Amino acid sequence: MRVQYIQGPVWAKTGEQLRKSVVFGINPLTGKKVAEEIVDKLTRPLAPEDTRTGQIKREMGPPTYTGTAAELQQLYLEKRYTDFMPIILPTEELVNEMLKSTSHDPDEPLGRMFPGSGAGETWTYTVKVAAINAVMAGAKPEYFPVILALGSTGSTAINVSDNGFAAAAVINGDIRDEIGLNYDVGAVGPYAHANVAIGRAWNLLSINGGNCGKVGTTYMGTVGNAQNALATIIAENEEKSPFQPLSVRKGFQKGENIVTLFSGWGILSAKNWKVNEWTTVMDYPMMAKAIHEGQTPGLFGTVLVLSPPIANFIADDGYDTVEKFTEYVTGASAKPEPKGKFGGFNMGPGFQVIVTGASNNNYWMAGGLREGQSIAIDNWR
Amino acid sequence: MKRFIFAAGIAALCLGLFCSFPTMNDQVQAASTEKMTVLNPMGTPPAIQAKQMAPRLDTLDGKTIYFVNTGYIGTDRLMEVMSDWFKANYPKTNIVMARGSMTNIPPAVMAEIGEKADAAIVGLGH
Repeated sequence: MRVQYIQGPVWAKTGEQLRKSVVFGINPLTGKKVAEEIVDKLTRPLAPEDTRTGQIKREMGPPTYTGTAAELQQLYLEKRYTDFMPIILPTEELVNEMLKSTSHDPDEPLGRMFPGSGAGETWTYTVKVAAINAVMAGAKPEYFPVILALGSTGSTAINVSDNGFAAAAVINGDIRDEIGLNYDVGAVGPYAHANVAIGRAWNLLSINGGNCGKVGTTYMGTVGNAQNALATIIAENEEKSPFQPLSVRKGFQKGENIVTLFSGWGILSAKNWKVNEWTTVMDYPMMAKAIHEGQTPGLFGTVLVLSPPIANFIADDGYDTVEKFTEYVTGASAKPEPKGKFGGFNMGPGFQVIVTGASNNNYWMAGGLREGQSIAIDNWR
Repeated sequence: MKRFIFAAGIAALCLGLFCSFPTMNDQVQAASTEKMTVLNPMGTPPAIQAKQMAPRLDTLDGKTIYFVNTGYIGTDRLMEVMSDWFKANYPKTNIVMARGSMTNIPPAVMAEIGEKADAAIVGLGH
């Protein structure tokens, strides 16, 4: 089909502004008048290339590249195989070492991924492709089952949306200690190897396995989102939380290794700065309710990332389960929640609580993230 | 002798450090001229099946053109403005407004277009 480019955005423009800038405007790619181009596209006879049929070959490059380390780093940067940072070069030896952490066949199809928001092509990738990207991210082999679990969902870590959506994953179970995930001081910060390498591996798998994060085609964030630099990997501090772990609330056994996906604005959102209040008496449940009401209706509802002290304050106020707390926050006085679907996103009640971090002060975060599917990590060992 | 043991200790420590991260160390050392072979990290795109475009219209006069609003914010207004322009400049063209969704055009609308339209303009906006 023939495609007409117009000068966007059209949203929020008046009819007169649209007439001037779009219909009577100039296509910035061709310098021609938009209205005349549309008529031309409807009436200009087909050229030979317009009548082409059959399968179009996609050139994906050779299976391997050879060069010095410096040459290969530059090549992978230029080919946009990276996140613009240096990578561990994925030699066969390192990839094979990564693959030893799973019983799954390297050629087994792992996932199907598109850039999110119902847009773009759906690519496929194998367990081996995930291993190559895990090596590039600097992941240790023991992280690989988590990376495979994330990859198996087909959810991108880097959404195409011009909104600039972020991705996060919450990990529960004994694997948190087994692989050294940080759920203490700085839990959602970038200074813990397991959290960072898993987040980066998910990003790189999205870039290479799912063709996501390509600026101008599959990454269209108008302003962008700094949280797209690294998918946020959150290990819950189950030991210090007064609540059942997220995975248990979703029906899994305590100790079972589960990763739960989240997507949305991020763990900080524009309407949540009520968390920054400093007074001698703090009513945390009321503050959470006000934040949620302020963010409702919205695409992603509310996610609270509570440090253990805040979670305990809430529990001591009588909300000793997340279910009771959710009932209070989203209860009768709250605004109605959105229903149905919007732009490929599920709508509906959105309120979730994650407990992580340390107890060195009464701090917490509140963002807009909606939870997605939960995956058993051990299925990918 | 003590100095020698101390130096040997440092050497052993350095060796231990590098042994802890053999892959990074190997690659740093290989950064000079040594060639290495690495794997392509790309997944597989879907096959693209090219379809021949529908024949173009020899004239817009007497033809029916569907304007499909996909529901993105502002697309309705854009379609109205474009419709006004067509009506003013091609008064013999019949413009019909239709509604799609952000991710697809409902089968019933597609069927109607196939049956009644000579051409369709699908507006993706925002």
